[in-house]
Amino acid sequence: METASPTWNLVGHRWAVQFLRHAVDTDTVSHAYLFIGPANVGKMTLALALASALLCQNQTDAHTPCGTCRACRLVTAGHHPDLHIIESEQVGASLKIEQVRDLERQVALRPVEGRWRVAILSRFEEATISAANALLKTLEEPPPYVVIVVLTADASALLPTIVSRCQRVPLRPLPVALVREALVERWNVDAERADLLAHLSGGRVGWAVRQLEDKAAFQRRTHRLDDLDRLLAASMTERFRYAEKLARTSAAVQEILDLWLGWWRDVMLLAADENALLTNVDCRNMLQDHARRFGVKGSMDVLQALQQAVDRLNCNANPRLALEVLMLDLPR
Amino acid sequence: MKVSCLQENLSKGLSIVGRAVSPRSTLPVLSNVLLATEAGRLELSATNLEVGINCWIGAKVEEDGATTVPARTFIDLVNALPPEQVDMELVVQTQTLNLRAGRSEANVKGIDAQEFPLVPVPEGEGGISIEADALRTAISQVAFAAATDESRPILTGVLAKFEEDQLTLAAADGFRLSVRTIPLPQPVPDPFSIIIPARALVELGRISGEQEDPIIITITPTRNQVLFQLTDIVLVSQLIDGNFPDYRQIIPQDWMTRSVLDTAAFLKACKTALIFARDAAHITRMHVKPGSDLSPGHLVVSATSAETGDDVSELDANIEGEGVEIAFNVKYLIDLLSVIGTPQVALYTTTSSSPGVLRPVGDVDYTHVIMPMHLGR
Repeated sequence: METASPTWNLVGHRWAVQFLRHAVDTDTVSHAYLFIGPANVGKMTLALALASALLCQNQTDAHTPCGTCRACRLVTAGHHPDLHIIESEQVGASLKIEQVRDLERQVALRPVEGRWRVAILSRFEEATISAANALLKTLEEPPPYVVIVVLTADASALLPTIVSRCQRVPLRPLPVALVREALVERWNVDAERADLLAHLSGGRVGWAVRQLEDKAAFQRRTHRLDDLDRLLAASMTERFRYAEKLARTSAAVQEILDLWLGWWRDVMLLAADENALLTNVDCRNMLQDHARRFGVKGSMDVLQALQQAVDRLNCNANPRLALEVLMLDLPR
Repeated sequence: MKVSCLQENLSKGLSIVGRAVSPRSTLPVLSNVLLATEAGRLELSATNLEVGINCWIGAKVEEDGATTVPARTFIDLVNALPPEQVDMELVVQTQTLNLRAGRSEANVKGIDAQEFPLVPVPEGEGGISIEADALRTAISQVAFAAATDESRPILTGVLAKFEEDQLTLAAADGFRLSVRTIPLPQPVPDPFSIIIPARALVELGRISGEQEDPIIITITPTRNQVLFQLTDIVLVSQLIDGNFPDYRQIIPQDWMTRSVLDTAAFLKACKTALIFARDAAHITRMHVKPGSDLSPGHLVVSATSAETGDDVSELDANIEGEGVEIAFNVKYLIDLLSVIGTPQVALYTTTSSSPGVLRPVGDVDYTHVIMPMHLGR
């Protein structure tokens, strides 16, 4: 792997890196940044790269983190004493006011090793209202050596007062080709698998890499697509039994519905255009079969039903009922 | 790393640095103690990123090296060893520290010393030397007045102002202010101020108990830390950033009534008042009654609780000026009277709604200001 690269060793997000690098170069680092982008797109990686650039001990003229010094290694491991990473205990839990208070106490002290203290607040949309409000004071006027990086998937879920106090850095999903290239070059994935993962990732490198680490993930996907195919032919009783089973595993529901959404999108595109760009590139035959059976109109109806189910679940509907309604709407 | 030392020395060293260990930190290495060899000595070090303590103990070093071991485990283990020579050897591959003492042997699993935060070391000459006893007294008289509530981080610190041949320590929490000056043996070339977390100073007061030689104070070039050098111990404290409020404006310049009291009697009256005042927001009334030519003046200390009852203590006092009635938080008075250190104390008051000033009689270097409470009528 190349070191001290001008891209801060990131996959994509070129303009964001350039923008931040310029700030570091010219010593005009803002007191607070807001990185906005879907989960696993590279927000934390970029935030850590910024922390490295600020805390790296081998400061070259280009202000690129060397990646090899003690500070860079500690930042990558998340163990640098001047780096504070604050997030809720797990995805879906909430970030609490005590965590923000604790951070405030620490940033009041001058940095331990470097010139800066970097605070990364991850998944900030999960912060409780009181936690977000507690951050406002520090966010508005942090001590001169503090850089706060707020990460979120959805800026509209944050208090407007938080958003307005930060410089916004939106991160978009990467082109599929770029993800594929990165997977082949950096993670030594064979070309065929890389191609599929890149398509499935929706431009989120982090997601693709996680799939690589999770050996069972691919099998799970195959199972779920099989389930989908089976359910189309199944009786109502069988469908309801499936809905009941699914409702009990709340963590998987979101993943399955996302997968199905992607699937029906492909079906719809394929029904409309033989040469459409697909996500599930490995299952072209089954997609074509569905496209023939349901056509554009049919697949659009399914997509709408799926989207409705997702919306309902997000609004705290009873999972079993929401899924049963979805099952009723599935075509046969 | 291969090193031998005496169990007593190791145990003592660990009790000194152990207070800086932070058991519940996001950085796992902070719950560890760093062990590092140095020419003929073993360095022990712990930090919670606010206060760090390094301590050196005599040791026979056979092979240089460093590691960190979990503080709780290691301290408990060392205290359980027989008072003999302890031989320690590090297995670098697994970061396991092997200990042998007498007929016991133990292995402690550690974390690579590279992960431990860098602790700055005092460089060269140029530190400010100060008498240990004077500094310890000043800390005990000032640090307690710092805020414990974190909403204004700056007030959790103690201002240390170095100016010519004087060091002034000041702390305030919004209800009281404590200011103490101590002489410096050598004047400083340029005046400067720093804000040190009160917790760090309290810790310094604790570990400097046996210190007789002067303590040497150095500020790191980045102005991020202050170092206190004792014999074989260095305490490093992170500094608080910001501007300390101008405390001189808070100290009233003139007074209407000056009451000189016996410290011990005043303290006893306050402690009695606390029994009732603790149920009534600690409100305690002071009624200053000037004497005449024939009779001495009095100070009447009283506290009332709607639930538990009330008490009144009358103290003899030497009073100049007019009579006044004023209420204070009795806990603040007790805190102060416990550390003031002179047999007599002078209370300066103006009206019932202006701050009261307390000074030790015969010591011009200490001033304490307490905000009054509502008399509540």
